[in-house]
Amino acid sequence: MRGKSSYLWVIAIIVAITLKSALFIVSEGKQAVILQFGKPVGKPITEAGLHYKQPFIQSVRLMEKRILNWDGIPNEFPTKDKKLITVDTTARWRIKDALKLIQKVRDQRGAMSRLTTILDAATRNVISNYNLVEAVRNSNEIFERVAAKKAAIEKAKKEGRLNEADILGEEIFGEIEQVHVGREALSKKIVSLAKDSLKELGIELIDVQLRRISYHPSVEAKVYQRMISERMRIAKKIRSLGKGEQARIYGKTEQDHLRIKSEAYRKVQEILGEAESERTKIYAEAYGKDEDFFELYKTLESYKDAFRDDTKIILSSDSEFLKFLRGKLK
Amino acid sequence: MGIDSKTPEDYQRMAEELFSRFFRGPKGTMFLILLAVIFLGGINSFYTVQPEEEAVVLFFGRYDRTEPPGLHFKIPFVERVIKKKTKIIFEEGFGFYSKGVSENPAISRSRYRRIEEERLMLTGDLNVAQVEWVVQYQISDPRKFLFNTAHPVQNIRDISQATMRRVVGDRTVDDVIRGLDIAQEAKVLTQKVLDKYDMGIRIVSVQIKTAVPPEPVKPSFNEVNAAKQEQEQAINEAEAHYNEIIPKAKGEADKAISEARGRAAAMINEAKGDAVRFMKVLNEYKKAPSITRKRLYLETMKELLSRFKDITIVDSSVKGVLPVFTDNRLKGLKNK
Repeated sequence: MRGKSSYLWVIAIIVAITLKSALFIVSEGKQAVILQFGKPVGKPITEAGLHYKQPFIQSVRLMEKRILNWDGIPNEFPTKDKKLITVDTTARWRIKDALKLIQKVRDQRGAMSRLTTILDAATRNVISNYNLVEAVRNSNEIFERVAAKKAAIEKAKKEGRLNEADILGEEIFGEIEQVHVGREALSKKIVSLAKDSLKELGIELIDVQLRRISYHPSVEAKVYQRMISERMRIAKKIRSLGKGEQARIYGKTEQDHLRIKSEAYRKVQEILGEAESERTKIYAEAYGKDEDFFELYKTLESYKDAFRDDTKIILSSDSEFLKFLRGKLK
Repeated sequence: MGIDSKTPEDYQRMAEELFSRFFRGPKGTMFLILLAVIFLGGINSFYTVQPEEEAVVLFFGRYDRTEPPGLHFKIPFVERVIKKKTKIIFEEGFGFYSKGVSENPAISRSRYRRIEEERLMLTGDLNVAQVEWVVQYQISDPRKFLFNTAHPVQNIRDISQATMRRVVGDRTVDDVIRGLDIAQEAKVLTQKVLDKYDMGIRIVSVQIKTAVPPEPVKPSFNEVNAAKQEQEQAINEAEAHYNEIIPKAKGEADKAISEARGRAAAMINEAKGDAVRFMKVLNEYKKAPSITRKRLYLETMKELLSRFKDITIVDSSVKGVLPVFTDNRLKGLKNK
C-alpha cells in the first residue's frame, strides 16, 4: 500500500513541475520571447495572459512592451555659428521587434548603450549644422510680440503723454534673428537621422526632446557680461532722459511764468492807457465847452483842496474878497 | 471520569490522537496542504480600495477590470491587484524641491537632479533667465498609467522641462521676467505631448513660482528699475514745481488785470462824474454868468478862510512884510 501511494506522489510532483515549466504568465505591458537552447524561436508573444511553451527545453525571456526612456549625458557641441553649448537630450523608445533586439544587442541594457551612441552622433550632427537660435526658438512669434508691443506704444503715444523711458524698457536687446527651422523641427531631424539604424535593432524611436540647452560655462560668463552692459546702458540712458525731461519742464516753467507776467503787465498797461485816454477825452469834452469858466471853476476847487488847515496865509488888502472890507477901511 | 478531571496532559493526548488520525501518512499530508491552500486563498480573495484609489485587476497577467473604492473580491493566486491613487493631485517641482506629493518620490527627491541647472534657460533673444515652476498632475487612467509607459513620472519631468524651455525660448528675457502667459502655454503644450504617449495623465496646472534674471545679472536689472524710479521722481518734482508756480502766477496776473480794470472803471467814473457836475454847473452859469462867478468865488473864499487858523491882512502898499508872531506861534516856540 505504502509503495503505491509514494509512487502516485512522485507522479503528481513530476506532473506539477512539468506544468510549471510549460506555463508562463505575460503581464500587461510586457512581451515574451521563447528561447530554445538559448536561441529565440517563433514570434514574440505580445498578448498578456497565460501562455504555454515546451517544458524544460524552452525558456522564456520577458521584455518590456511599454514606452521606455533614454536619458543622454549632457554633451557639449558647437553650433553652426560657433557657439559652444551643452545639450541634454532625452528620448522615448519601444522594443518593436524583440527578436531582432535579442539578436543584435542582447538585451535592454545593450539597447540603451546603442541608443546613446546613435543619438549622440545624430544630435551632434544636427546641432552643428544650425545656428544656436534654431535650437532655442521654436518660431518667430517673438517678432509678432515685438510688433504688438510697438503698436501698443504708438497707441499710448497718441492717447497721452508717454514716458520715453518706458519705451526704452521695451527695447529689445540681445540678438533677434529669424529662425527658419526651429526647435521642434530640429528634434524631429535628430529622430529621422537615428530612426532607421535603430529600427535595424528592433527599436522604435518615438521622439527626442531637447530637454535642456545651456551655454557652456566659458560662454555663459560672456553672455552675462553682455546682459549686464546692456542693462547698464539702458539705465544710463533712462537717467539722462529723465534729467533732460526734468530740465525741459523747469525751462518751460520759467518761460510760462515770464510770459504770464509780461502779458499781464501789457494788459494792465493797455487797460490803464485806455482808461486814461477815455478820461482825458471826457474832461476835454466837458471842460472844453467853456474854457474860461473851467479855469475859474477848477482853480477854485483846487484852492479848496490845496490849502491845509494850518496854512499861514497872508492876504493883500486889495484882494477881491476883501473888497467890501476895504470900503469900510477907507 | 468527569470533565474537571481532565488534565492538560489529557488534552494533549487527545490532540495528538486527532492529529495522528487525520494528518498521518500521505493522505494526511495532502489534507494539510489543502487546508493551508484554502486558508491562504481565503486571505487573498479580499481587498480594499481606498477612497482616493482605483484598483487594476490582472487575470493571469492580463488586464481584466478596474475597480472603484470599496471592498472587492478577486480570485486568489490567479488575479493580481495593483492600486493607484487617482484622486490625489501630485506635484513636480522644477528648479527647486517641491514640498508637494510626488507620484514617484524616488525621482523627485533624487540627488541626481541638478537643481541650479534646472532653473537656468535660454530666452528667445539668447539671453538667460531663471525660472522655477510647479506642475500638478493626476492619474486619469490607471491602466494606461501602469502599462503604456515604463517611467511615467520621468516622462512628466522630461517633457515639462523641454516644454517650458521651448515656451521661454520663444520670448525675450524681459517678457519672461514679466511672466506673460507662459504658464498657460506650457500647460497646454505639455498635455499635448504627453497625450502622444497615451500615458493616462492629466496635467492639472502649471504655475510659475519665480521668473527672474540670473544672479550675476540681477543687480544690473535692478539698476534699470532704479533708474526708471529716479527718472519718474525727477519728472514728478519738475511737474510739481510747475504746478506750484504757474497757477499762482496766473492767479496773480488775473488779479492785476482785475485791479487795473477796477481802477480804469473808477478813473472813468470819476471823470464822468466830474464832467457831469461841471456840465450842470456850466448850464447854470450860462444862465447867469456874472452872478455865478461871484457866487462861486465867495463860497470858495468863505470855506477856505473859515478853515485857516492863521490869517494876516497886509496893506497892499506896504513894501516888505515881516513875519508877525501871533500868540499861538509864541506859545509854540516857548514849548520847544
